[in-house]
Amino acid sequence: MQVNQALRPASARSIRLRRIGLLVAMSLLLILAVAIVLRERRERTDLLQADADRIIDDARLAPKALAAGRDVFRTNCAGCHGADGHGSTATGTPDLTDQDFLYGTGRASEIEQIVLHGIRSGDDKGWNLASMPAYGHSVPYAREKLPSLSPGEIEQLTSFLRALNGSTSEDPTVVAAGNVLYEGRGGCWDCHGRDVQGDAAIGAPNLSDGKWLRGDGSRRDISRIIREGLHGVSPAFRGRLDPAKIRAVAVYVASLHARKEHE
Amino acid sequence: MNLAAGETRANPPKWWRPDRHNERRSLTLCAVAAVLGLAIAGVGLFNARGTRIAGVPPEDAAVVNRSPILLSDYVAQLQALYSVSPSEATPAQKRATLDSMIREELYVQRGIELGLQNDFIEVRNALVTAVEAQQEIDANATVPTEQELRDFYQSHLQSFQPEGQMTVTDYVAPDLASAQRAVMAVRSGKDLASAMVADGLHSSGATDDGEEFYFAAEQHLGPTLFAIAKRLSDGQVSDPVTEGGRVHVLAMHSNRQPAPEDYSQARDQVLAAYRTDKIARMRAGTDRFLRERADVQIAKPLQ
Repeated sequence: MQVNQALRPASARSIRLRRIGLLVAMSLLLILAVAIVLRERRERTDLLQADADRIIDDARLAPKALAAGRDVFRTNCAGCHGADGHGSTATGTPDLTDQDFLYGTGRASEIEQIVLHGIRSGDDKGWNLASMPAYGHSVPYAREKLPSLSPGEIEQLTSFLRALNGSTSEDPTVVAAGNVLYEGRGGCWDCHGRDVQGDAAIGAPNLSDGKWLRGDGSRRDISRIIREGLHGVSPAFRGRLDPAKIRAVAVYVASLHARKEHE
Repeated sequence: MNLAAGETRANPPKWWRPDRHNERRSLTLCAVAAVLGLAIAGVGLFNARGTRIAGVPPEDAAVVNRSPILLSDYVAQLQALYSVSPSEATPAQKRATLDSMIREELYVQRGIELGLQNDFIEVRNALVTAVEAQQEIDANATVPTEQELRDFYQSHLQSFQPEGQMTVTDYVAPDLASAQRAVMAVRSGKDLASAMVADGLHSSGATDDGEEFYFAAEQHLGPTLFAIAKRLSDGQVSDPVTEGGRVHVLAMHSNRQPAPEDYSQARDQVLAAYRTDKIARMRAGTDRFLRERADVQIAKPLQ
């Protein structure tokens, strides 16, 4: 035995030590991996269980939520709303960075509901209450009986709206006729309000603030919207995106206009 | 283990010795297992609470028999009922909201257990609508490329042209000869209004409101006269037409034929039409799939 011990190569001990070292390293890695997973789960839980509207003011949750939300936005939202969230008046895609909210008041919890269930997406829990009728068609609105308007009447409404938004070149008689149509047969007041300031409960835009969802407020653009209608769709991401990602992108989008507000 | 002197080992009963084959033992064990199994099943049956999961996932407010009540739905419900966010809600508001949602979930599950979808038309309609809505959600979730939209636009150009517009007067003549005379006079350069008056023609009043969209003009003129009017150019008068027992002459003041809008102008409509088309195709596909998968047997008298 003594001979065998003496003959045992010195490397045998180092092999054993190496094995122990490897085992220790693997154990540490495993512990680290478990710790990372547990931490991520904790953060996910915290993000989901926090009040969505308060995350942006939470120094611990906000940075991660904003970073994750930005990634989700770039992948899923930027295609329509643009990488900077400014939307497009050419396609009628809303600007997400301004204070002009089509639906709700711009809170993260409201945005989260839109991301989850969409707008006119087919999801029963989404915003599906109304869309802009196409008054230049024989059936302007499928859900409710509304009268079609003649080209002349569309012209009157256009003049009325342009005058409201500061145009001084409108014929007062035509503007007055447009006002009568707005408050009467056209039924515009029903969604956009008697004060023409819209209704965020149904996504009817303010028509007197000089901001246009589609086009630039020119005669051509306004009359086209009245003639052809407008019914943009925002898809429902429920079941397609992880709830934590949905929460994160809602916080990110809420931060876009909040940031602008602070600027 | 060694036995001390004088100790004797108590021999187990003969039927319990595992090294010996014993049918009685086998049967007894089988019977005990069967009774135990039945007892467990009975307890489960009469006290069923479903399989519990370890805790509620963070995205859920509650889990009822493994069906989640989403936290987002709970937040929306709080907002709808009390106009408050979770951090603004009182404990009583939170409890009442969650209780009502749990109750609803329990009743939905009970309804499915009872097979109410077979008895209630509203439930059946809601289920059909929900499946159709799912297809709509799927179709709306896919964003087509610009090239796909342009291709769709090119292949459906007719769909992207606004209604044509016309300003037309429908004159009614006392007889065919007067109508022919009036038409000849206008075509030879005489002023329209005076030519019509001279031969006793007067407006029918059908289209006196000025410029109209094609669909409105068709409603006012009727299909026969509208088909003729559509082909007239600005300043043209039609040949006399006998329609509904009266002789008509149509005078076209302005006719704007429908023409497709530019892609850039019509893009939002193209996208909407693309999605509508996709939904229709998905529905047709689902119908086919369901029929192929289903075992549908039709009673002989109805075949």
